[in-house]
Amino acid sequence: MNPASTSLWDKIEYSTLGTTIAESTWMFPTLETIHVICLVSVLGTIFVVDLRMLGWTSNKFAVTLAAKDTLPWTWGAFVGAAITGGLLWVSKASDYMHNPYFLLKMATMALAGLNMMYFHFMTWRTVEHWDKDATMPVAVKVAAALSIILWLGVVFFGRAIGFTLGIFGS
Amino acid sequence: MGDLLYAFTEWLRTTWVNNASLAISDWKLALWLDTHFWAIPIMQCFHILAISAAFGAILMMNLRIFRLAGTDRTFAETERRYVRWVWWSLLVLLISGIGMTIAEPVRELVNPVFWIKMPLVVVAVLVSLWFHGRVMRRLATGGTAGPVIKTVAVFIIILWCVIMLCGRWIAYAPV
Repeated sequence: MNPASTSLWDKIEYSTLGTTIAESTWMFPTLETIHVICLVSVLGTIFVVDLRMLGWTSNKFAVTLAAKDTLPWTWGAFVGAAITGGLLWVSKASDYMHNPYFLLKMATMALAGLNMMYFHFMTWRTVEHWDKDATMPVAVKVAAALSIILWLGVVFFGRAIGFTLGIFGS
Repeated sequence: MGDLLYAFTEWLRTTWVNNASLAISDWKLALWLDTHFWAIPIMQCFHILAISAAFGAILMMNLRIFRLAGTDRTFAETERRYVRWVWWSLLVLLISGIGMTIAEPVRELVNPVFWIKMPLVVVAVLVSLWFHGRVMRRLATGGTAGPVIKTVAVFIIILWCVIMLCGRWIAYAPV
């Protein structure tokens, strides 16, 4: 235990798990690699559904089928990204919690989650009326556009963290 | 493994690559990219978004071969939906990749992992050209996906994962 570690984030960072990852030469890059492959799969599959919802691609096929084909992969990859991301966070918890881009990334992901939940619980209830339409209702297009914009933000803030970690006082 | 890669780096330093990377770092564009803090992260974002579009499209096409996705479509329809995203994404990957190399020529070019990644990219492009030019077209006209085609489909996914692995490890190569 580091003598100066008084905050919760320091305690997490100096836990056995945190120091094991931080002190290993290969664990952090390996976790990052899995994180990248998972997030690439999340984005790739989400965009397939978003583009259909915008009415830009696959217009003659049902939205429900596009969702059914992609969602197991999106969620599987998201769980992988969340686990690896959590482990990366533990190893430098204090630095991440003091980094504005990390906090912005988490906030943007929360907004993407809210957008998804509103779409799933509200807009999706009428899906049988527009499932096979070439042109989607405005609420569907807005949800898809928000999804794309928010995930672009998540990627940018995620990359920004790597360039600014440790330059903000902790 | 680390020693082997380090020996590779040492060897790269004795080749023309070393001088070439130093020459590139004197380019006006290289200096501009190097002195603008957000240039490299933004190029990396384009690189990540393009590999996402390409990998997502490849995944959906290969899942179709295993009848795990897109079963409401024919092979021809699946191909028409996704294959152009692979090629356009590769163009964006190439441009952003060249940009990132110009911005940090020594870090990229005098790097063993970079030179492992590049042949793998060439293999991936050649396999994809064959796969989408011949195999998918034959399936589109009514053929069935046998064990060879299914094996290649899995191989392509693994190959792209290894390419992503190399991309991440460029930053951690022993130099």
